[in-house]
Amino acid sequence: MMAAMLSRVSAIAAKEFAHIRRDPRTLIAVLIVPIMQLMLFSYAISFDVKAVPTVVLDQDGTSASRAYLQTYRSSDFFAIKGSINDLASVDEAFRNHLAQVAVVVPPGFGRSLAKGEKAQVFVIVDGTEPNAAQLGQAYTVALNQLYDNKVLVKWADRQGFDTTQLGRIEPRIRTWYNPERKSADFLIPGLMVVIIMIVTVQQTAVTLVRERDLGTEEQMMVSPLRLPELMFAKLLPWTLLAFVDMVVIALVGLYYFHVPLRGSVMFLSVSAGFFVFASLGLGLIISAIAPSMESANIIAIMVAFLPAFLLSGFAFPLESIPPVLQGVSYLFPARYMIVISRGVFLKGAGFNELWPQLALLGGYSLLVIALASVLYGRRAAR
Amino acid sequence: MTHSAHHPLPFISEPTATDSAISVRGLTKRFGEFTAVSGIDFDVARGEIFGFLGPNGSGKTTTMRMLTGTIAPQSGSIRILGEDVVASPEKVKRRIGYMSQKFSLFEDLTVDENLRFYAGVYDLPADEFVKQRAYVLEMAGLVGREKELTANLSVGWKQRLALGAATIHEPELLFLDEPTSGVDPVARRHFWDLLYDLAGQGVTLFVTTHYMEEATQCGRLAFMYAGRIIAEGSPREIREQHLLDIGDRDDSGRLRTASIEDVFVRLVTREREEAGR
Ligand SMILES: Nc1ncnc2c1ncn2[C@@H]1O[C@H](COP(=O)(O)OP(=O)(O)OP(=O)(O)O)[C@@H](O)[C@H]1O
Ligand SMILES: [Mg+2]
Repeated sequence: MMAAMLSRVSAIAAKEFAHIRRDPRTLIAVLIVPIMQLMLFSYAISFDVKAVPTVVLDQDGTSASRAYLQTYRSSDFFAIKGSINDLASVDEAFRNHLAQVAVVVPPGFGRSLAKGEKAQVFVIVDGTEPNAAQLGQAYTVALNQLYDNKVLVKWADRQGFDTTQLGRIEPRIRTWYNPERKSADFLIPGLMVVIIMIVTVQQTAVTLVRERDLGTEEQMMVSPLRLPELMFAKLLPWTLLAFVDMVVIALVGLYYFHVPLRGSVMFLSVSAGFFVFASLGLGLIISAIAPSMESANIIAIMVAFLPAFLLSGFAFPLESIPPVLQGVSYLFPARYMIVISRGVFLKGAGFNELWPQLALLGGYSLLVIALASVLYGRRAAR
Repeated sequence: MTHSAHHPLPFISEPTATDSAISVRGLTKRFGEFTAVSGIDFDVARGEIFGFLGPNGSGKTTTMRMLTGTIAPQSGSIRILGEDVVASPEKVKRRIGYMSQKFSLFEDLTVDENLRFYAGVYDLPADEFVKQRAYVLEMAGLVGREKELTANLSVGWKQRLALGAATIHEPELLFLDEPTSGVDPVARRHFWDLLYDLAGQGVTLFVTTHYMEEATQCGRLAFMYAGRIIAEGSPREIREQHLLDIGDRDDSGRLRTASIEDVFVRLVTREREEAGR
């Protein structure tokens, strides 16, 4: 009977929400901590942003290029340590710790601007600096802000140009010593996946173990409640919370860090749905096999935390880790989702490019939920 | 229907009575090599209070879990309220209730939320719920404390609330696994009054307990030892049957009146000695 099933599922879901309401720690862990992580991250980005030692190389030598470089001089973000004459000197400046950033205006800059075409600028970042990744992100953010908000308009104002007739200045950032340039753009779509994975696996891993300890699991097994209903109802609140998390992180990323969202939100949401289910399924499997709350927590950390950070492509590119670990990385859903997330956010990719990842994620979630059901069934029959 | 005073001998497999609440034949449960329940037979008549006794680890909870359909037996048959539980455990679930030693309440939910949860799990219609909720609150003495967190209730109240939650769907047959352990004597007396009320309404009760004064309150008893039933009957029958067995005499050589506890201790001691030989 549908109505009876609905009544049972909603009774459990309502109870789950009541648990969550009662225990502020859960809400904090699920909603506040991810935002704090993002904010800490933002601090790391804005840290040291001011007065970054910079050298400039003006290969164009026009009034336009000089005016453009002047905005760097007047900006708080950069401390111009001097002008250099050729690209080889960039190396020297970096090696002597004279600068961590070099801004290069190539020949033709002024001409392009005058024609209303896109003008290119190169920004070179010293990747060997200890906090090079952060700095790299910082520069990107700072430069984006400069370009999008100030430079163009100010420069145009001063030149008496009509901004609408201006070609855009296109920054080309190249990092010479750190080819895996990290930036907010690059990190936030990945961070979103990592946070969701940790939150969902951890929470579902303990939720059923807790019921077993309380004796309420046994009580429910005596009732007309069926196993799939219980599992579905248990997943429902966490699915919702995971989506809330995801939306919040995305909004912070979009509006605070100015991460672009170039692809389809719809495709991202569908993929995220599969991903959340896969993660929750992993949590359920842990619930089914863990003998106690403590072990459930530990297994959850091993299954969610470490692989999400290390085996997902979030922190290291997967090609750079040992082949054995590359193989292991296929066992966790984060690697598929990070490709999707970055693809949609940064490249505007959609179903045509990312369907293999989506298919893998879909298959994965089905497999994991099926495995969780089997493990539960076996447990119950003991 | 009253139950026959003469119980079937274990090896005679008589057709199970359709009017009995519980009818068990040759029920066996093994955990790996270990046999927790070893081919037991018994019947419980409708409306009866049936006490299930036995030392720790004798197989009481395991038996109860098979009866409620939580675990499947290796062999044997179980009929609950006329339905074959081994073949289709789902059929009777709405008609039976279960209260475990742990009380199975959510401590971080309020009294009301706990009741609402179990009502939802049993798909109680809204008007039924209103009626049953009022009844349970009255019965458990919790009127006016509906919004209180269950964790803040003292044990006696928790126990009565658990009984209310376990009976919110008005089961015909209620299983209680050590429902009074850890409860003070006054609350225990109160609890048994509630059980009598339920029995008076025609609910069949299947109760395990380690308290002998509770055992004497049951209509009929079964003693379990090491997975087998070693004695069965009304408290009076058990005392009379085993008086001579025990052979306890007072100073003047007369047979002493044995209490249920005496019989229990003697039977268990004898079984242990025999096993040790
Ligand atoms: N899932 C299980 N796996 C293995 N052994 C089990 C399992 N459940 C129970 N047992 C064993 O079966 C035996 C009977 O246990 P059971 O819980 O039925 O005893 P009991 O009569 O209810 O005891 P108590 O009075 O302590 O509650 C015990 O030895 C117990 O260790
Ligand atoms: Mg027990």
